[in-house]
This record gives sequence, C-alpha cells and structure tokens, in this order.
Amino acid sequence: MLRATLRSFLAHKGRLLMSGLAVVLSVAFVAGSLIFSATLDRTFGRLFASTAADVTVRPAENLDESRPSGRIATLPAALADRVAGLGQVAAARVDVEAGNITVVDARRRPVSPTTGAPTTGANWDPAGHRTVELGSGHPPRGPGQAVLDEVTADRADVRIGDTLTVIAAPGSFRVEVVGIAAFTAANPGTALLFLDTPAAQERLLGDARAATGISVDAADGVDAGQLKRRVADALGPNAYTYRTAAEQAESDVQRLGGFLDVLKWVMLGFAGVAVLVGVFLIVNTFSMLIAQRTRELGLLRALGADRRQVRRSVLTEALLLGVAGATLGLAGGAGLAAGLIRVMNAIGMHIRATDMVIGWTVPVAGYAVGLGVTFVAAYLPARRAAAVSPMAAIAETEAAGTGRPLRTRARAGAVAGAAGAAALAGCAASSPAGRAAGLLGAGVALTLVAAVVAGPLLVRPVIRVLGASFPALFGAVGLLSRRNALRNPRRTGATAAALMVGIALAVGLSVAGASITASFDRQIDRTLGSDFVVRHGNSAPFPREVTDAVRRAPGAGLVVPARYAPVAVRLPDGERVATTATAYGPGLDEVADIDYAHGDGRAALAPGRLAMDARFAREHGVRVGGTVRVEFQDGRTAALAVGALTGRESAERFRAPGGLFFGLATLERYAPGGQDAVLYVDAAPGTGDDELRAALERSLAPYPHVQVRDLAGYKELVRDQIAVLLYLVYALLGLAIVIAVLGVVNTLALSVVERTREIGLLRAIGLSRRLLRRMIRLESVVIAVFGAVLGLALGLVWGVCTQRVLALEGMTVLAVPWDTVVAVALGSVAVGIVAALLPASRASRMNVLAAVAHE
Amino acid sequence: MPAPAAEHVPGPAPAGPFAARARGLTKAYGAGETTVLALDAVDVDIVRGRFTAVMGPSGSGKSTLMHCLAGLDTVSAGRVWLGETEITGLKDRELTRLRRDRVGFMFQSFNLVPTLNALENITLPLDIAGRRADPRWLDRVVGTLGLRDRLGHRPAQLSGGQQQRVACARALVSRPELIFADEPTGNLDSRAGREVLGFLRGAVDDLGQTVVMVTHDPGAAACSDAVLFLADGRIVDRLERPTARAVLDRMKRLDTGCGPSGECGGPAPGPERG
Repeated sequence: MLRATLRSFLAHKGRLLMSGLAVVLSVAFVAGSLIFSATLDRTFGRLFASTAADVTVRPAENLDESRPSGRIATLPAALADRVAGLGQVAAARVDVEAGNITVVDARRRPVSPTTGAPTTGANWDPAGHRTVELGSGHPPRGPGQAVLDEVTADRADVRIGDTLTVIAAPGSFRVEVVGIAAFTAANPGTALLFLDTPAAQERLLGDARAATGISVDAADGVDAGQLKRRVADALGPNAYTYRTAAEQAESDVQRLGGFLDVLKWVMLGFAGVAVLVGVFLIVNTFSMLIAQRTRELGLLRALGADRRQVRRSVLTEALLLGVAGATLGLAGGAGLAAGLIRVMNAIGMHIRATDMVIGWTVPVAGYAVGLGVTFVAAYLPARRAAAVSPMAAIAETEAAGTGRPLRTRARAGAVAGAAGAAALAGCAASSPAGRAAGLLGAGVALTLVAAVVAGPLLVRPVIRVLGASFPALFGAVGLLSRRNALRNPRRTGATAAALMVGIALAVGLSVAGASITASFDRQIDRTLGSDFVVRHGNSAPFPREVTDAVRRAPGAGLVVPARYAPVAVRLPDGERVATTATAYGPGLDEVADIDYAHGDGRAALAPGRLAMDARFAREHGVRVGGTVRVEFQDGRTAALAVGALTGRESAERFRAPGGLFFGLATLERYAPGGQDAVLYVDAAPGTGDDELRAALERSLAPYPHVQVRDLAGYKELVRDQIAVLLYLVYALLGLAIVIAVLGVVNTLALSVVERTREIGLLRAIGLSRRLLRRMIRLESVVIAVFGAVLGLALGLVWGVCTQRVLALEGMTVLAVPWDTVVAVALGSVAVGIVAALLPASRASRMNVLAAVAHE
Repeated sequence: MPAPAAEHVPGPAPAGPFAARARGLTKAYGAGETTVLALDAVDVDIVRGRFTAVMGPSGSGKSTLMHCLAGLDTVSAGRVWLGETEITGLKDRELTRLRRDRVGFMFQSFNLVPTLNALENITLPLDIAGRRADPRWLDRVVGTLGLRDRLGHRPAQLSGGQQQRVACARALVSRPELIFADEPTGNLDSRAGREVLGFLRGAVDDLGQTVVMVTHDPGAAACSDAVLFLADGRIVDRLERPTARAVLDRMKRLDTGCGPSGECGGPAPGPERG
C-alpha cells in the first residue's frame, strides 16, 4: 500500500508542483523570519555582551517612552568614585551617551544614517569595552576633538581633519575629526561620534558632573551577580537600575528589538498569507487528483483496502508533499534570511552572513508548517477519497468530481455567514475598543469561512452575470468557456477562494489605511490653526536652540512648542494608566482648534492643571476640578487639577490613551530637560506666509534635519508615514496574487488533462488552436474575476468594520480607496490571462488523434 | 495488518458445498414510481470448486447480481452468504475485509494501477492486507499465466491480453474462496480471450478455485461448468456442461424476448454492454 502511495506520488509529481510551491513559499517565509531574527539576536546579543561592563549602573527607569521626550536621564558622575572605593571592584568608569544628536558637515549636510537610525554621541573611554577600536588618527583630547565611526565617515565622506557641527540638546558645537574608529564586531546601524569624557559630559549632557551610567569592572574572581548586589546595597537598591553584563546585553537587544520585531512580524505576515492561500491551492489540487483517480481508488477499495487505508494513502501523499516542500522551503528561508542580512548591511549594519544562526526551532517550525498545511489541506479530500465506493472501479463512465448537492455547504455557509455578520454588526455597534476589536476578529474569520464554504454556491449566479456577454463577444468559444467555469462550481469556487482571500485582506487593510489617512487629514484640517509646523523629519525632538532660532526668525509671531512626556496617571477609580502626555507652550488655542467639552486652553495649560479626553474622564470617574496624581520620569509625582475636558477628536490622541495635555511650564517643573518635538508657528501681523516660510527656512538652515511645513506639507508628512503601512499591504497583496495565480494555473492545467478527450474532439471538429487558447483564457479570466469580486466585497465589508473600530480610537473618517478597488478588479483580468498562458499553450499543442483516443 | 489476516487462512473451502448463496436477493434503483428492479427475489447457489457463468441480455441484472454476491453493492432485500458468512448487514469495514481476504476480482477493463509494475499489481491485494505472498504459490500463479518475463513491466507496456492475465494473477494470488470475473474477455481479441478463459478454467481444475464469470459471449460461457441465464432481474434458465451452440440457442430465445417456455414478452433489448 505504501508502495502504491509512493508510486502515485511520483507519478503525479508534476501535478503537485504548484501545491509544492505554495508550501515552499510558506515555509520559506517562516524559516526566513526565524533565521533572520535569531541571527540578529545572537549577533547583537554577543556584541552587547562583549561591550557591557561586569555591572552597569543606570538611572532608575519608571516609565517607557513610546514617543521620545528628548530627555536624557542622568546620574551624578561622582558615583563612579564611590563605587570604585567599594571592595571587589577593580574599576568604575563614567559612561556618557546621548542617543539623539545630529551631526552635520561644513556644508550643512547631515552626517547621519539615511535610514532614520539615530546618531549617538558618547565618551571615548580608553579603558572601556567598546564596539569600536581606533582605526586611524588618535583619540579625542579636549573639547574640540572627536572620533567618528568608519561606516558613517565613508558614507558622508568625512576625513580626519574635517570639521563637523554637532547639534546636541545643550547646544551646537564644532569639533575636528581626529580619528576614525572601526567596528570590531557587528554594527547596530547607528552612527557613533566620540568625545573625550569631560567634553562629552559638558557638551552632550550640559553638566560636567553628570553621567548617563557607571560601568563597573569586578575584581578577579568576583561574580557579576555578587558584585551587582554589593553595588546596589552601597548606592541604595531602588535609587538606580543595576544590571550585570548579561542583563545589560539583553536589555540592549530589547531596545534595538522594536525595529527588528517589525521586520519579524512582517515576514510572519507574509508567511501567514502564503499559508492561508496555499491551503486552498492544496485542497483543490488534491480534490482534483482524487476526482481523476476515482476509478483507481475504487479498485483499491474493491481489492479490499478499507477506508482508513485509502485515507491514509492520500494523507501520506500530502505529507510527502509537505516534507519535500518544507525541505526546499527551509533552504529558501535560509536564502531569504541571507538576502535580508545583505539588505541590512547595505543600510549600514554589519552582520556577517557566516554568523547566520539556524537553531533547532527553524527546521521544527518549518516542517510543522509544511506538514501542518498539507495535512490540514489534504484532510477533506482524503476523506472524500475514502468515501469512494468500490463500485467506482466498475462504473463505465468516470464521474470526475461532478456536483454533489451543495446543500450542506449552503447550510454551513449560511450559519457561519450569519454569525460573522452578527459579529461584524456587533463590532460596529459596541463601544469599548477591546471588545470591538475582538468581535471584528471573530467577524472577519467567520465571514471568511462563510465565503469559502459558500463560494461554490455563488459560482453559478455570479459567473452567469460576469460571463453574460461572452457568447455575444466571443461566440461559441465564449459560451464554452463560461460553461466550463460553471461545470464544477466546487472547483471554481476553491480556485477563486485563493485569490479572494488575498484580495479581501489587502482591500480591507487598504480601506483601513485610507481611513486612517483621511482621519488624520481631517483632524489636521480641523485642529491645526497655525500657519506652519516645524518638525524633525522622523518626528524626533530637537534641541532648544532650534526653538530659539524659530522664535528669532523675522516675521515669526506666536510660536507654540509641543513636547512629549511619558507619564502615568493614578485615576479616582484606582487604575494606573501609563501614557504619553503632551505639554504645550502658552497660546495653544491660537494655533489649534481644539473641541473643548469643558474649559479652554488657558484653563488646561495653567500651572498645576491638565486636560484630558472627556470620555476617558467619564470612564474613570474624573471630574473637572478634581485632582489626579501624575507620575513623571525620574519618579517625581504631582497632583494636577483637571482644568479642561476635550471632546471627540482631540489632537494627537492616537496611541496615547486619555489624550492628556498640560502646560510646558508644568512639565518643566516636574520633569525638566525635555526637548520640543513640534513647533506651531503663526506669522506676525503684516507678514505674508511665503515671507515667513523663507525666513524660517533661512533660520533653520543650520539644522537640516528640522523642516518647515505648512498645512498641506504637514498632511503629506503624516500621509507618508501611513503609506509605509500601505506599501506593506500591497506587498502582501502581491504575494497572495502570486500564489493565487499558481492556484489558477494548477486548476486549469489539471482541467486540461481531465478534458483531453473533449479538447481533442473540439480540435477534431475544427476548433483552431487560437480559439482553443482563447477558450481556456476566458475560463481563467472568469475564475479570476469571480475571485476578485468576492474578495472586493468581503474586503470592503471588513474595511468598513475595521474603520468602525478605529473610529473608537478617533479615526472617524471612512475612506474607500476606489482607485485601488478598480485597479484590483482590472488586475484580476490580467491575473486570469497570465494564469492561462501555460495551460492554454499546453492544450493547444495536444495531438488531436491521441487526445481523442485518450482514456 | 493485524489479526484478521492470521485468523483467516485463505484458500479453498472450509465446510459446505456452496461458495456463495443468495435467497430472495432483490436490488431496486430509484424510489416511488420510477423504481427499477434490477434483481427481483433471486435465489442462487454457487457451487464450490466450479466455474459458473452468468449470462443475460443488457439490463438483465447479471452484473448487479455479481456485485451483490461480491459485497460490492448493497442489496434492497434478501440475504446473501459468502461461504458460511452472511454478508447482508455487514458494515463497510467488515465487507472490505471480506473482499480483501476471501474474494478475487477481474474486470472488463483490467483495472490495473498504472503506476505499479505487473508484479506489484499482482501482489497489491496482499500489500493492502499487509501480508506477504506465499512465494511458491505466487511462482505457480505467475508461471501458469506465463507472466514470468513481464513482471517488471508497467501496464502501459503490456498488451490487453497480458494486462488481463496480470489481473487474473492478482485475483488468484490471495487464494480467495471465490473469484468474480466481470466480462473478462470483453476488451480482448478472440485469441487473448481464449487464453484468459483457459487460465480461468485451469484455476478451477488445477488450483481448485471457484469462479463466477459474467459474460455475453456464448463461446466464453461454453468454458464454464454451468450457465445461469438472467432476464429482467430473474434467473430464467440454467444449463449444465454448456456448449457454445446450446448457449447461443438459449440466448436467442432470451434475446427475442421469448422465455424458455416459449411465450414472448417485451421489446428486444439493445446491444450488450458490460
């Protein structure tokens, strides 16, 4: 029996090719993402572990920054001396590191990574463990000298002796490059500039007695954990954060992880789409192979194979396919990871491809996905195969998958559809965002199941309509191709389902993306009252002197800075909410039209006051005039009175629950040292917009990273940020379409084989090759358009429901990207034509006599 | 495969003179007014160790009779025994096992698995059962059928006669109690047909097998020990030690719609099919 299975597998390997490709793609993406992230983890884990001191002392961290505040947490440098005096300590050194400086060359061009990765300024500590060693020149001595890393120097064409301007929080200063440092190991992608320690303290932190950390080396034979406890006991366990080298490395990897995680999830998203679409392809292939082998299966049954044996035989074939596909997919995944590593290297990271980590999880996950997908996909066809009656061996005519009644499907589809519709309606109606999102997920899954299950039922009505003009346009060939598509609704439905899933996902996401863009647009239109907005290119904060330069620009009137601050509020209902608050300078109401439910900007920004979203306040039992305790960075807390409540669509609410804001003075009092992230600028009376713009651009010339935008430009900036999401959506759509095309090719190719005799007959009675090709092409187009129509319908419904959920987060505008919808519809015709190329040419090349005699 | 293979020792006949019996065997297709009776309360006994032919015009129910006796098809009413086992009412699983261990099949269109070579096709029923072929028996069967130098060939590389000989070997290899042959010569030229019939005859005479063959060829029927004639779902006649001429005679009477007693009935049926 196993032999029969193996032979059958080998005999059909050509027909399994497309399914195999789908498995290969799924596994490749899963394996690629695992290998890639493991490689990065190990590379950087090693890097950070090798550079971390035995024990590191850092300022205590109480709040995470989801938006950069621009503050640099410091501790007294004198701690180093205190720690050095402890027993078991070999040495203690001061660390200075400022993660967000900007370096420009003499011609005011930025000397920073093009990827938006930060430039880090640090102290050059001859005794410390570093990621770099001096390649040429000498170490920095005194305030006017600096060492730059070689990758950045190469990219920006900086040589020893060049003068650079460093824009740091305390102010800009000029340095001469005296040395170029080479990376000893990998490079996390940031640019590095080194100053000597006193200069770094003075120039980067603005305080000669401050440091960002203390590195402690253990005396010989002292364990790091032991040393950490000792240092912590001496300095006070809660006063600072203490980490051993291993802990520090882990924390650094995590900090770097955000960006890398995104890559990982994107890859897994691709894998998910490949799996989802691939399942349909495999189901269809196996269904068709089984339909074609009905007679053979009947024979096995007549010869005494029981149902279980037949089922097992089909599943074994599926598993063989899974093993083969997963093996190739693993190789493909390694290739994908290697490619990604090259891309990372191209944008400035240094990872050796030889460092690629392929842990045991990679093959395990790869084979689990490969085998899982094929097994799940082949299970139903296998059951159907097992149900083949032994009489099928004797039956004169081969009933290749002719339509059994679709009643069960209708019922199951209706139930799933009704449940899905209810869930979607529920999500559109319910208010807590968490529950709505859960309902949305359930609704999407259920409607997807319903569409897949009931798809074959829709084949007849939809294709009748889609192909209505075929007979008139293409004559008999048009009629035949429409009939062929209608011939086996199950098969047509399943083939189209692959395309449907991909298109539905992409359309749903693009509706969501377009709605977010439109919502931001409207919000900016409604709330932005200033003439210009000054911002960093990637929304990082900028030093005070930029704000000063803007204020000094001729013609600048009111300038309102905005600054982000991580806070945690303790609310009357006992809940502690960690969020990001915004601090505004006086005059907020002049530059923003905020919809106040209670109070106004003056009341909100007054000392000791804050404003929050009215609904958030209601949900947590906060009343106007009541006080809430607000915890700032560094652990200082303040009781602030609620001075104002904002209505819907308060500014900048996205990702910052509560919509908290207060005066800049309040922030300065409790958490000083932040940097402005946005400046809203109004023209002084009598100054024209163009005039002010030119003046601002002149004033900001020394700061090329900071840009002036008017309303339209600001919207553009926001739109560009969201566009990244859309590019991803289109890439996903592309992958889904590739696999779906494989599916259509597959179905058509198998149909052509199945209809060999019929095609021979058509050719014998005079159908030309050209017309035959057209017949197959039209059938393909009909299937593709059918899938696209279902996908568009489903995707639009999902998109609209997603927007309803987003509306709870303030994205109240629904926008449907009709251009995308039209492009997808037209694209599906192209997909159909492309998919038909191979099967059509194969059919047209058949020998007529042999085809007619084909059994 | 576990136990059952060991419990049942394949081979000719335990007790009892009949390899298969049916009482009141009825098979109806469709329901209500459109009901068609393919078999109408048929009583039949297949004697062990003999070669029985079943003949009848198209639509007479001869194939249905065979399928019901072999447990391939379900019955509408009546009882069927294979040896001492009543097969009516058995579950699919038990029927499958019964077919596997106690029945052999030959089909008009050979029905070999195209991806397996001749030897693999022959041993397929044993492979399914998870048993090994008795090498001496296999050798004897292969030798008798003259397939020794064809064992490595795929079905596509064999002539029709050779393919049917492979199918015959496949039916014999597990030493079933009963071999059902459904128009085994239907797709063969007359020489290859005679050969195959000779092998079936030999299987009965030399190997002690029991064979039931459905055919419409009087010449083929003449090779049997006894012929059953079916018409309209009933056994209307039987003939012991037939000759081609005697069979043809009886068939003519059936074909013109005249029963054995001489009275004439419905219209003449169409051309014979499998």
